[in-house]
Amino acid sequence: MNKWSVDRRVIIKAMLMASAAPWALNSKAFASTSCDDQIVRIGGIAAPDTLNPFASYSNWWPLVFTYDLLVCVDAQRYPDRKGFAKAWSVSGDGLTWTFKIWPGLKWSDGHPATARDAAFTYNYIRKSIGNPDELNAGWNSTDGLQYVEAITALDDETLQIVTKVPSRWPIDNGIMIVPEHVWEDISYADAKGTFRNDPPLVGTGPMIVSEFQQGQFARFTPNQYFRTGRPAAAGMVFHFFNTADPIAQGLKSGDLDYGVSLTASQWADLSKDSAMTCGQSRVEQRDYLAFNTASGDGAGSTKALQDPAFRDALGYAIDQKAIVERAYRGHADPGVGLVMPAAADYYSDLSDIRRHFDLAGAARRLDAAGYRDKDGDGIREDKEGNPFQLELITGTSSGALEIPIAVVQLIAGWFSQIGIPVSVTQLDSGALGARTEAPARGGGGWDLHVSAGWRGPDPRSLLSIGKTGEPNNTSYWSNDKFDRLLSQVDVTVDLKRSRELVDQASRLIYTEAPYIILSYPLVLEARRNDCFKGWGTKDMMSMWGYFPFDRLKPA
Amino acid sequence: MSRRIFRIVFRALGTLLTVAILNFILFRIVPGDPAQLLLAGARTSVTVQQMDAQRARWGLDRPLFPDQVVDYLSATLHGDLGYSFKFRGRPVADLILERLPATIVLVGLAQMIAILCGVLFGIYAGWRRGGAVDRIATGASMALYTMPSFWLAMVLVVIFSTGLGWLPGYGIYSPGANIGSTDRFLDYLRHLVLPVTALALGLIGQYVVVARAAMSEVVTEDYMVTARAKGLTNGQMLMRHAFRNAMLPVVTLITLNLGYVVAGAITVEAVFAWPGIGGLTVEALNARDYPVLQGIFLLLGASIVLANLIADLAYGLLDPRVRQ
Repeated sequence: MNKWSVDRRVIIKAMLMASAAPWALNSKAFASTSCDDQIVRIGGIAAPDTLNPFASYSNWWPLVFTYDLLVCVDAQRYPDRKGFAKAWSVSGDGLTWTFKIWPGLKWSDGHPATARDAAFTYNYIRKSIGNPDELNAGWNSTDGLQYVEAITALDDETLQIVTKVPSRWPIDNGIMIVPEHVWEDISYADAKGTFRNDPPLVGTGPMIVSEFQQGQFARFTPNQYFRTGRPAAAGMVFHFFNTADPIAQGLKSGDLDYGVSLTASQWADLSKDSAMTCGQSRVEQRDYLAFNTASGDGAGSTKALQDPAFRDALGYAIDQKAIVERAYRGHADPGVGLVMPAAADYYSDLSDIRRHFDLAGAARRLDAAGYRDKDGDGIREDKEGNPFQLELITGTSSGALEIPIAVVQLIAGWFSQIGIPVSVTQLDSGALGARTEAPARGGGGWDLHVSAGWRGPDPRSLLSIGKTGEPNNTSYWSNDKFDRLLSQVDVTVDLKRSRELVDQASRLIYTEAPYIILSYPLVLEARRNDCFKGWGTKDMMSMWGYFPFDRLKPA
Repeated sequence: MSRRIFRIVFRALGTLLTVAILNFILFRIVPGDPAQLLLAGARTSVTVQQMDAQRARWGLDRPLFPDQVVDYLSATLHGDLGYSFKFRGRPVADLILERLPATIVLVGLAQMIAILCGVLFGIYAGWRRGGAVDRIATGASMALYTMPSFWLAMVLVVIFSTGLGWLPGYGIYSPGANIGSTDRFLDYLRHLVLPVTALALGLIGQYVVVARAAMSEVVTEDYMVTARAKGLTNGQMLMRHAFRNAMLPVVTLITLNLGYVVAGAITVEAVFAWPGIGGLTVEALNARDYPVLQGIFLLLGASIVLANLIADLAYGLLDPRVRQ
């Protein structure tokens, strides 16, 4: 027995030592993060798989901090957020665009960065058109280059893009300008796939990727040749996460200076912390309900889905304000048309034609359209006499902010109140994509579909959801007039005229109602106040560029 | 004896071949188009031509049978696990080898701690049935055994990382700091504490329950009464007679659990953003990256088959009755 008494004492000592370990591990000697090193730490939901911008769409973060875009979104919206081009202009016929490149611009390895690099990047992609390894699998894609006649560097500081038809693509495109001296010998087959573009990268952005641990983080060093001077921060680390939980934890514990893609509850919790500033940004995401309008292969359970009057009536049974308040806890704008408020150049609230929530009105419209409850069992029948039982599939598409399940529950509740019962199936993004593929590819067979898409603010990206045959037209809706409007806007340079065409298309699709737009969610973000200053106010961090990491300063 | 070993090994190889074939079928039954997912994240409209090009690029436009399945089985039999879609042509073997060490350290360490603590507490509780240690160990181990490890992980994060701020709650390193190799190792240890604890606590419960039950059975055996009658001390009885016999089911459990070391702990790795095999599995599943999934599950199958093989052989060594 004595032997066991000794063992018990040993065990107790061991337990006491073990319980002291966290204090020891938490000592200064073990701690590795503080403001002293002046390194900016960011956390976001991202899963970049390669640093090659020709091979993937998943690497916007971290590449956008290293490579400049010629113009794109930020430079058009903000005078102090430029890209590779300092200025640009277009000829009267809308065919010739001239870009002035920053004089004296250098790559991060010290080589001069000129218009020739920009011409190389565009021509490298353009010449791959028709090649078996056409570069169409990543941010640097041939999409849009079909409108281009010629891309020429007139001199080191002047780039000229001549298009076949008037087009805004030269300033709207999101192609990352890469250095010719690094990429000139890379074959198309390698650029499209196996070339990993391992760090250290060579770019003109403020922060250069110097280390990349897939699934963990990217480390950046400041670009000493950045056009406005070396950034004041000593470096940057972008942590990649699958969920927002560790981002919120990291902000609270001080391991992160900035976190994005927070949930409403995390945001509310962090808002109470005086060490934190919380913000919310409008982005180009819209959440929507799609009706399966297909007839024949892939059609839904009832022909009523193909009837605009049926879809319009159900539009009155959706309360977008309630969705925002109850499902998003206020962190969204109520949905109306295809164009979201973030795309300010084309936004319209469609106030003269918009539907207002009215369950009784929705029921009256269904009655008038011939969808009555003839047998009095509380469930309406379609024109073929079959009682409604609609299947609603839902899930969050890759790259979009998550849709709260409460959105679907609210819609199912409202529809059942007007005699349209709905069964909900939740799917992951892969299964959702398979079900909403074109019927010719095995998709369809569902009735309603709640999903989201985060697109660019240019007319093509905004409207393609309604274009016949487009993969992201998941309602399978087809309308010649809408397609014609989209074709017209594709060859229009004048912003005012583009806006008119987008407005016409938005009104047409709103009236036909293949989609009911539910909301435009806001990106929730938070930053710590202790280490850095110079953050943005409306948006703390740009979703289209490297702002503010070119100008953050230690606090 | 050699016939028995031959039979066991032959059965193991047959199981592996079945696993390889099932892997091919299983992941393709799950709805989802890898080409579509490879283009996810595009903020422009993706065209049908882009999707077709992706399918052709990764050989997904070829017939499943016989082309794809024959290529897969032939390559697998030659030790070639193929190339990842998501990671743009990186060899699957490289990806797995890159992630494997993180998982082996995490799960291996948790297993070792759990085996040590679980077996000790279980054996002692079984030896001293009805005592204070037995009551506490049995109650606590049942509670830990029934708790999902991801839930336990989240509780630990909330208390020790977010709440008290003692330990990091995610990742394998604090990459922001420019630190030397010694500090980097200590930083790694700090990151290991919570995930290892979350995994080990669940496993401890399992080992305590099995070891206690085995010991409780052994102490009632006739040979224990004989040993006591011969005048052996408690320690002699425990070490010479009870412990070895009680270890039979425990050894089986240990070897079977060791088979799961490479499988990682998908949910715990997800909670702690631990870059191991579990995290790779989730990424590959989300992207419908068939070659990576096939590679991981073949490795998992092989490790479990190997663990079973070792258990079968070890059992024979520990228990002469099995050999007969």
